[in-house]
Amino acid sequence: MSNAESRRGNLAGWAFIAPAMVLLGLFMVYPIFWSLWMSFQTGKGLNFKFGGLANIIRLTKDPVFQHALSNTMIFLVVQVPVMIVMALLFAVALNNPALKGRAILRTAIFLPCVTSLVAYSVLFKSMFAVDGVVNHTLMALHVISAPIGWMVEPFWAKVLIILAITWRWTGYNMVFYLAALQNIDPSMYEAARIDGVPAWARFTRITIPMLRPVILFTTVLSTIGTLQLFDEVNTITASAGNGGMPADSTLTLSLYIYNLLFKFVPNYGYAATVSWLIVLIVAVLSWIQFQVAKER
Amino acid sequence: MSGLTLKGLRKAYGAAQVIKGVDLEILPEEFVVFVGPSGCGKSTLLRMIAGLESISGGDLFIGGRRVNDVDASQRGIAMVFQSYALYPHMTVRENMGFALKFAGASKTEITAKVDAAAAILGLGALMDRKPRDLSGGQRQRVAIGRAIVREPQVFLFDEPLSNLDAELRVHMRIEIARLHQDLKATIIYVTHDQIEAMTLADKIVVLREGRVEQTGSPLKLYDDPDNIFVAGFIGSPKMNFLSARVQGGRLVLPELADQSLPLPALQQALPEGAQVTLGLRPDVFKRGGSASLSLTIEIVEQLGGETFAYARVGGSAQIMTIAVEDGRALRPGQALVASFDPARALLFDTDGQRLR
Repeated sequence: MSNAESRRGNLAGWAFIAPAMVLLGLFMVYPIFWSLWMSFQTGKGLNFKFGGLANIIRLTKDPVFQHALSNTMIFLVVQVPVMIVMALLFAVALNNPALKGRAILRTAIFLPCVTSLVAYSVLFKSMFAVDGVVNHTLMALHVISAPIGWMVEPFWAKVLIILAITWRWTGYNMVFYLAALQNIDPSMYEAARIDGVPAWARFTRITIPMLRPVILFTTVLSTIGTLQLFDEVNTITASAGNGGMPADSTLTLSLYIYNLLFKFVPNYGYAATVSWLIVLIVAVLSWIQFQVAKER
Repeated sequence: MSGLTLKGLRKAYGAAQVIKGVDLEILPEEFVVFVGPSGCGKSTLLRMIAGLESISGGDLFIGGRRVNDVDASQRGIAMVFQSYALYPHMTVRENMGFALKFAGASKTEITAKVDAAAAILGLGALMDRKPRDLSGGQRQRVAIGRAIVREPQVFLFDEPLSNLDAELRVHMRIEIARLHQDLKATIIYVTHDQIEAMTLADKIVVLREGRVEQTGSPLKLYDDPDNIFVAGFIGSPKMNFLSARVQGGRLVLPELADQSLPLPALQQALPEGAQVTLGLRPDVFKRGGSASLSLTIEIVEQLGGETFAYARVGGSAQIMTIAVEDGRALRPGQALVASFDPARALLFDTDGQRLR
């Protein structure tokens, strides 16, 4: 190919990707840099000016932000490990050819993540109401003596949110593990069986290490998802149009950003700062997870 | 080292019979090869011995102990898989020592055993590598090493060389033969490659559709097959089979324009007009003899040391493979008089059973 021809080829290539590049630039790259710039602005609404590190200083003194941060971290620390372990156990169980009704169980466990958010939120609200089916069942089974205030007591509200997102996302993660498990050569397990490696060791010493890249992937994904948690706390634990109830006990960083922009007098600069803090936390946590999962 | 006894061993998956009653005696230190076409049940039989497949009927004894219901790990066996089945996240050393950890061996004991096995297999320089950094042959050696460290009574090999290229396969074949001499181990080896079977085995077990067709030493099976299946399966190139008719004390070959040859000496008398199948190995033509066939050469294969001529008579469909001594001058289209000793011809009845 001559130089002129290759230049024409290059031009045609750029022309083909130009529409996508323009859209990405306009609606993604530009806003990202704009929000970074905004995070150094102070002021209400469209009336703002450069404030240097004022927003970051404000973060350190903002009790609502600190509450949202600690709530988010509690969700992260409790929910992600529980969900990952459950997804792993489900995947291993459902990968066993001896199990009857595998296809139905797989579908049943995967279904929540494709269920409409609003529909499931309404159901959860009804099921976990003080006089809802959950309390009735638990009382009938004598697990509890008085109804739990799932949506009124701060502690139980957090438990409810953790239950909801675990229910919704466990099957999603399980599918990744199932796919990875099916790629493991079954003769490896047969070799281990013949060599007298007990079942628990086959799981911890063969399955888990073999799934390590997928576990890392799902952990990073779930961490990001939980740090951005917004849907459930704005629907299930919302009352009178305000999410994160009761008493901000389920207020998350994402919800706080939303409130800063759309519930209170808009403060674009401060909201952008909180957004960038989430980015920073995601980056740090992902880096740590990659370090931990690195092959030694 | 232990021997094994298989008595009426059966395996069924639902209504499908896969192993239909296998009786077999395997002596201590014997190298036994299960061979047969794909789907003959050879791997299933091996997996039943290993304890990876349950036994539907019959008895399996290892070292005199009935092990039908004994867990795979307690049978005193070690297995080498076709896919090697190495643990990819462990180094060679960890792969080889992994099982010993669960057998209650101390660290020094494990190191000693692993090092000893590594020395036997020449793996010393590779001990800290992961399987992905090894060649196919090296991986196979690690898999064998992993079996050796357990000091099993019986080694099981499931098509261990099938994933290797031709050159490496020959090399590993020799290594396995040497290993058998060094370890004096009882080995059961599954392959579909009859050359591996011929070269490695003390005893070959030819299987077809879940049944044992014949058991014996490689040369016994080569020289004296019980039936047409074994005769055709063992030996490369394949034995020539010609339909023949007994007529006037001679064998008439309709596929070769009614050429005839003297009837080979048999213990039984064949009635006039009896239909039989004549089996002639390509190499019977090398030495010459009193019988001969007149053929026309169609294709000549020069292998350097050997020459194979593919020849037929006129337009007949029957093509004969003939090994020729000093065949370098042969050309397609030439006439060939292939002579042989009629005593080396084998006869089979219409059911494929050998006539002796």
